[in-house]
Amino acid sequence: LPICPNGSINCQVSLEELFDRAVKLSHYIHSLSSDIFNEFDERYAQGRGFIAKAVNGCHTSSLTTPEDKEQAQQIHHEDLLNLVLGVLRSWNDPLVHLASEVQSIKEAPETILWKAVEIEEQNKRLLEGMEKIVGRLHSGEVGNEIYSPWEGLPSLQLPDEDSRLFAFYNLLHCLRRDSHKIDNYLKLLKCRLIHDNNC
Amino acid sequence: SPPEKPTIIKCRSPEKETFTCWWKPGSNGGHPTNHTLLYSKEGEEKVYECPDYKTAGPNSCYFDKKHTSFWTIYNITVRATNEIGSNVSDPHYVDVTYIVQPDPPVNITLELKKSVNRKPYLVLTWSPPPLADVRSGWLTLEYELRLKPEEGEEWETIFVGQQTQCKMFSLNPGKRYIVQIHCKPDHHGSWSEWSPEMYIQIPTDFRVKD
Repeated sequence: LPICPNGSINCQVSLEELFDRAVKLSHYIHSLSSDIFNEFDERYAQGRGFIAKAVNGCHTSSLTTPEDKEQAQQIHHEDLLNLVLGVLRSWNDPLVHLASEVQSIKEAPETILWKAVEIEEQNKRLLEGMEKIVGRLHSGEVGNEIYSPWEGLPSLQLPDEDSRLFAFYNLLHCLRRDSHKIDNYLKLLKCRLIHDNNC
Repeated sequence: SPPEKPTIIKCRSPEKETFTCWWKPGSNGGHPTNHTLLYSKEGEEKVYECPDYKTAGPNSCYFDKKHTSFWTIYNITVRATNEIGSNVSDPHYVDVTYIVQPDPPVNITLELKKSVNRKPYLVLTWSPPPLADVRSGWLTLEYELRLKPEEGEEWETIFVGQQTQCKMFSLNPGKRYIVQIHCKPDHHGSWSEWSPEMYIQIPTDFRVKD
């Protein structure tokens, strides 16, 4: 699909097209995140009661994101876009380490390894796309403030297998959760900004 | 004796805005027994009691919008108490994001049509369940339809994604078909029940003219 059809000079991808691509990507990333979590859960977490421990929250818990429809609809779209950017940025670092550390899991199946790498790459692409969208909507400025650091690398390298597996479980649980939030918020924003809440 | 411990059997959200949990009491130990549902939410120490025991009927707890949060793990237990003592169910961990089961689609229409090149086909249209807010994008539904000749055994099931209409070609002239549709959230949750059966009689002359 040529970006600039027959010779027009200063053409841009439309905001609608940018949102379409972002939603397709966020949907894909969440599907991968769901699959990798389910696969890990089935193979390594059965009967270990990890879910009870997973309630200590995720490294992005400090980001106050909407938790129900009313909150999601009341928040200004600029704030919601910046939150999406902040969550995406906050996952750059852990996804780099997930893709490498997951190789150390005993008999980790190829599908888990491949998905970890794929999610890392696609997350970067989505972040770039979202920065374009925010740049388009807020005429050039892209706020950089929202970010939540991740300090979980040591726990992915613990000698005790149960603790290490729980660290992976919790990271994948949080990835599934946050990627679903991002996908949901982008679908909301697309309906609000492109289709005037009439999807 | 004290009552047996109850069992939490199911939690369901019909529209990703509220949810309900149901439990099954154990034996009451021969004494009048009452049940209390208690829950805590991820990241909070506080324990809450069920906000509404009535709306969803006996042995249930209904969480309205104000009491429903997504992407948050609820730790739910039910305690049975009689004059001798009490017993508590095993904890039930729920994230409402993953328990959405919508109602079936509505307003299903079936219409026989002929296209320009005289190829006959059937057009199906439907609407999302009324409770589901798909317009705002909060909930995205996917649909699947199934059909079979009335006397046939095997259903043909077709996944149609997020669209709410579908064209069907190559139906057998003279046959009477049964059609049903159901839906599910785009990622998590479960399929709705099938919509009520709809019937369509394909005319005998429903044939491609050479």
